[in-house]
Amino acid sequence: MTLSLTARTLLAFVTAGLLLAVYGPIIVTIAGAFLPIKGGMIQSLTPSLDAFRSLGKDPGLVRSVMLTLVVGAVATMVAVGLSIALALYAVRRGGRHARIVAFIVFIPFVMPPMVTGLSLLIFFRDLGIDRSLVTVTVGHVVLILAVAYRLVVTRLVDLGPSLIEASLDLGASTWQTFRLVVLPNIAGSLAVAATLCFALSFDETLVTLLLTGTDSTFPIKLWGMTRLGISPAANAILAILLLVTILLASGGLFLARRNSTARAD
Amino acid sequence: MMSGTGARIGAGVLVYGILGVMILVPFLSFLMMSLFSVDGVVIDRTPTLMNFERALSDPVIMGVFWRTIELCAGVAVVATLVAYPVALLLQSLRGTARFVLLIAITAPLVLSYVMKIYAFRSILGGNGLLNRLLVGIGVLSGPTDFFVFNLNAVFLVLTVLLAPFAVLPIFLSLEKIPGSLHEAAADLSAGRLHAFLTVTLPLSRPGIATALSFTFVMAIGDFVTPQMVGGPNGFTFGRIIYSQFGLAFNWPFGSALGVLLTIVVVLVLALAALAGRLPGGTSR
Repeated sequence: MTLSLTARTLLAFVTAGLLLAVYGPIIVTIAGAFLPIKGGMIQSLTPSLDAFRSLGKDPGLVRSVMLTLVVGAVATMVAVGLSIALALYAVRRGGRHARIVAFIVFIPFVMPPMVTGLSLLIFFRDLGIDRSLVTVTVGHVVLILAVAYRLVVTRLVDLGPSLIEASLDLGASTWQTFRLVVLPNIAGSLAVAATLCFALSFDETLVTLLLTGTDSTFPIKLWGMTRLGISPAANAILAILLLVTILLASGGLFLARRNSTARAD
Repeated sequence: MMSGTGARIGAGVLVYGILGVMILVPFLSFLMMSLFSVDGVVIDRTPTLMNFERALSDPVIMGVFWRTIELCAGVAVVATLVAYPVALLLQSLRGTARFVLLIAITAPLVLSYVMKIYAFRSILGGNGLLNRLLVGIGVLSGPTDFFVFNLNAVFLVLTVLLAPFAVLPIFLSLEKIPGSLHEAAADLSAGRLHAFLTVTLPLSRPGIATALSFTFVMAIGDFVTPQMVGGPNGFTFGRIIYSQFGLAFNWPFGSALGVLLTIVVVLVLALAALAGRLPGGTSR
């Protein structure tokens, strides 16, 4: 659509305002990581890396990052694996079954995370399972499954049944067909799904807060650190996270872009 | 895959078994819990509607309930109003500019949620940067406590945090409008504003509906933001539910409140689905 100069200026103005509101607090907080702060006041303007150095010395923090990486990796693998199975079933059966599977998979994604978290909390308690990183991981799988499922199903539907039928007609076994025909064709979607799932799991706070036992994942550790007030260490973490996030977001978009161009060919 | 009936039934049992255990049964236990009651620390499993009667007749809880709905509706409307122009600009850009703006909008979405709220909290506050800035440029004569750890702060933070989420569905719906329609509108010598109001806006309605409902649901299910910037008086419904599972330790009552929340969410989603599906009012 073509826009007049006035319209463009107006839109740019609103966009700049939103970006300022979103990034302003983040940038101010990051600046705080490099400056010594005491009692909410900047003490001097000499930048220092003390806040960053102190991070490595906090064993609880390093451990929480490691735990979050493990939870994220396991949850992502399980969710992507399950979504392949569910998507294959739904696409193969089609009709009513496809709709029912999609409906159930999307319930936890559409519901507020608090409702999903409470449901799992009550369920685990009914079963007598104590809260731990295992329950957290299950919670993450339930939440992120919808994202992986959606991406895999879309790709499978695009792929159509003819390749699979041809492979089976030519005498390949079901497993061979899956490994040599289906898997290579959905690999791009799986990569996007895994990236998104991992990012969602890494930052998951609401469900994790309800399901975690004594071990803290990274967001829970942050929640504990930031509840008490401003801390230079938390500022330093924000600086690192923003950098990692922008790299991940660009990487994810790049993958998605490449995937869509590959599909267009 | 060359399944006999046996294999097909087996696959079905497996698929629905997994979905049942992981998703359906937990949600059912949640619904059931709302019908139980507590006796000290023991949960009495005799079905009763007591929790719902108590919630619906408690003026404090109902007050917070309606105030929270109002707050979240406000957040959804303002976030969508801000997001629409951004989506429009994003859609009109091409190449690198579009890619960069897209990243600028999407990066905060994956940035740690707790950290975003923390960043906000460090600039709000009586002695916070926002207050000092407003006094510094002369907007205020002295620090205000208008947004210092109360519901206004919750509103402000939720709106800014959720607006980027609202950009994407609107952007996607704008992308789906065929360029030929704009050309047709131009050929029929519709002014740009007129073309926007009669072509673009009605056709982007599904995106608007998604943006509104999505931000509303995200806002109403949140208890971390109100907890962190709401202060002692900024109570929301989510915070009350959370407290029932913590200090108050009344899971059945908390579940009943959760069911009320779920009903609101389902109603809003149904409404949004309906609004997004109605045939576009292009003739107006």
